[in-house]
Amino acid sequence: MAGATDTALVSEDTSETEAVAAGAVGLAAVLFALSLASVFELVTITDPVAGVPMVALLGGLLVVLGFAVVTFGVGSRLGYVATDPRPTAGLLASGTFGLIWFVVGGLVASQTLGLGTAGWVVASLVTGGAAFAVSALPREDIGSTLPAGALAVFAGVVFLTGVIGPSWLWDLGWEQQASFNAEFTIPVLTAFCSLLVGWAAAKAYGGFGARGRHIGAYVLVYLNAISIIALLFLLVAFTVLKGLPGLFKGLAFGAGAGPEVTLVGVTFSLPVSWPFVMNGVALLNDVNGVLPAIVGTIWLVVGAVLFAVPLGIGAAVFITEYADRGRFTQVVEIATNGLWSTPSIVFGLFGLAFLVPRLGNQKSLLAGMLTLGFMLLPLVVITSRESMLAVPDEYRDASAALGVTKWQTVRSIVLPAALPGIVTGIILGVGRIAGETAPILLTMSGSVAPPGSQTVDVLGGFQLQYAPPFVTNPELMQATSALPYQLYSLITAGVGQSSNISAIDEFRWATALILLVVVLGFYAIGIATRYYFRSKLQHD
Amino acid sequence: MNVLPNSDGAGLRAAARRGLRRGRDFVDETPPDALVTVTVAAVSLLAAFAGFLAVSSLTAIPFAVFLVATGYGWLRHQELTARVLTLTTTVSTILVLGLILVFIFAEAWPTVQYATVNVFGVPIPGLRLFIETRWSPVTPPIQYSLVPMIHGTVLVTIIATAVAAPLGVAAALFLSEIAPRTVRELVKPGVEILAGIPSIVYGFIGFTILSPWAADQFDIVGQGTYLFVGIVVGLMALPTVVSVAEDALNSVPESMKSGSLALGTTDWQTMTSITLPAAFSGVSAAVLLGVGRAIGETMAATVMLRGSPGLTKPLYNVFYGNDTLTSLIAANYGDADGLQLSALFVAGVILFVTVLFLSIGSQYIEARMRRKLGGAE
Repeated sequence: MAGATDTALVSEDTSETEAVAAGAVGLAAVLFALSLASVFELVTITDPVAGVPMVALLGGLLVVLGFAVVTFGVGSRLGYVATDPRPTAGLLASGTFGLIWFVVGGLVASQTLGLGTAGWVVASLVTGGAAFAVSALPREDIGSTLPAGALAVFAGVVFLTGVIGPSWLWDLGWEQQASFNAEFTIPVLTAFCSLLVGWAAAKAYGGFGARGRHIGAYVLVYLNAISIIALLFLLVAFTVLKGLPGLFKGLAFGAGAGPEVTLVGVTFSLPVSWPFVMNGVALLNDVNGVLPAIVGTIWLVVGAVLFAVPLGIGAAVFITEYADRGRFTQVVEIATNGLWSTPSIVFGLFGLAFLVPRLGNQKSLLAGMLTLGFMLLPLVVITSRESMLAVPDEYRDASAALGVTKWQTVRSIVLPAALPGIVTGIILGVGRIAGETAPILLTMSGSVAPPGSQTVDVLGGFQLQYAPPFVTNPELMQATSALPYQLYSLITAGVGQSSNISAIDEFRWATALILLVVVLGFYAIGIATRYYFRSKLQHD
Repeated sequence: MNVLPNSDGAGLRAAARRGLRRGRDFVDETPPDALVTVTVAAVSLLAAFAGFLAVSSLTAIPFAVFLVATGYGWLRHQELTARVLTLTTTVSTILVLGLILVFIFAEAWPTVQYATVNVFGVPIPGLRLFIETRWSPVTPPIQYSLVPMIHGTVLVTIIATAVAAPLGVAAALFLSEIAPRTVRELVKPGVEILAGIPSIVYGFIGFTILSPWAADQFDIVGQGTYLFVGIVVGLMALPTVVSVAEDALNSVPESMKSGSLALGTTDWQTMTSITLPAAFSGVSAAVLLGVGRAIGETMAATVMLRGSPGLTKPLYNVFYGNDTLTSLIAANYGDADGLQLSALFVAGVILFVTVLFLSIGSQYIEARMRRKLGGAE
């Protein structure tokens, strides 16, 4: 639906008034940014900005903004501004305004004026009803600007007169104490009012009517998308900033700097020493590290993939290629979707009840692998099935016409064609399970801060014997650590358990960062794979 | 999507006859040694499963037989073996769900039985879990009430839904209808990565940054509020809502949108009066799935809440946070045994059943929507 409304059919000579509305939108944006800055305590509300206290500045700007929008609406109603309004602002807008003013009326009556229950209910109903009527009954230009602008003016006046000043405090008076202070209330109210007025101003900029609503809605939707991305960026950047010092502590390069390793019988020193990922936790370590947890996470993922991927792809092949579409495939679909949304802690409980008693009656790496495998299974089935369904039937028909069997078609036509989707799905699924804490908490959790000597060595642990079960591996049968579990135990551990770690906060943030790097690394690879295959498909 | 079995006898008999005939045909057409191989593999796998269930040390023997039999079958009768193997994997996928149900119900049963109440002489198992309000597993009188945790879960879920539903649907609209191609290619992976951040990292940031900040801002004694757990959990449920709702919006046929646009509507009018109503059920399925995610979210709640089961005073006090069903399990499994451990499994059963119903409900809604739109195409 591209570009259907890009050409402004209603572009009359309204550039000046449009500029006023656009200015109001811009002012609302500035106010919104200012209030966010004070919520995050980048500026305090008592700080003077250009000689004016922050509270007064916010209040003053709100009053100006409110008046601008109301003036625009009234001007449009009186015919000074050429717009194209509808007869009414619509039920949704009226309902929202009614509700907002209902709350405002109630709060003022009960908290500021101190009226009783009957008093505030009456006041609420009066203000709410009035706002609803003002919004619903007149033409859209009045209906969508007046209640919004009045709210901004009201809030501004409240801030300016000091009814809600910097020292304002509202104790809710509950048994479990909680109260609102000015530091929080003023910015949040300002942000809310500026959003509301910004929407009204954007609508006015579009000249109300269909085009105005379009612009008003788009402003909010774009703002929402931008905030989600900003939040993501903030989360990742914050973790990186806090985690970097601990992560690279003691990093050294040069021949022979690193620990000795033995590969195929040859012992040599690594040319790099990275203590945080090469050490465990010990009293005598210069820099403590999380090596056991990293190795544990790697083995968990390997085990879960080995268990879930063959099962999942097999199931997907059966329900897409062999089974007729009917009851059975529906049951499988419902079961896999049900498994997919099952909470991770329930998988943990299941592992505790089903796997732990049957695998040596103690928490073990193997139990953790299988539990995560159960979690990965539905995701593999769903994504493999989707990508197999996307393989065109012509491929299958062409292959069948050559006289080969069904399995040969699946093996040499369907699976290769569906492989990109399957691989992407598996990588994304692995990213999800690598960060899961709850299932392994109940099935394989080891010590809080394991020393380097407790690093699991699965490959070296296999032992053959003549009595059943023929192959044993004590490494698989004991508890170990993994990155998410390590982070959890560092958060909840008492002082005694982590006394070996000196700068505990730095250590925690570095652990969080390396967990984030591992998990987002899987996601980045998965997403990149998808783009690679997609661009290749489009080229062909 | 009628999943209930057809219960009239004649249909069932006919189906059984068809199945029998198909089975006979299959036996007739398959070479005998292939049949033997497959049977041996199936029986040995069943035996291995039974051995595993019975905690037998001999489990490995039938499993080895299974491996040998399938290996032989793979070399000699690949077609049949592949078919049987894929069927086996499918059955085991369903089996996992069944096993989860059976095992957590079995573990939960002792506490349910302990909490039996006689109502007019009729014993109702588990009723006391829901009519008492005190969780006290150690100090007498021993009571395992799940009411405080259910209250916490409900509060957190309501707040999380209030965050995730509107923001998620708006973001889905943006991705599917509004964003230019290049912007979409940037925002979509962003939302996916938001889903990828491990819950314990969210919890850690909440625990170290958000909780102290909230305690300071709202003058709360101690740390941990349902309000901020709800907001964090809402952010975590957001990507689920976005991706499912986006799929639903994308499944509205382009012809419907074009038809509306051809009448001279704006993009936004088309969205509110055509696309959203047509995709309404799919969008509500997305919200349901998001609610399911929020109910089951564990780690953020565990590290951000106080872990002291109890009701908040007053009940709608969201500035205080005790415990949710998930955090109860994660925080107490370590030192729980006997009836207390079993009570944790009851909490697990409640979570599992609730979320399973949400999942099935949303699938039903989606299927209905697909059918409706398919007819319109």
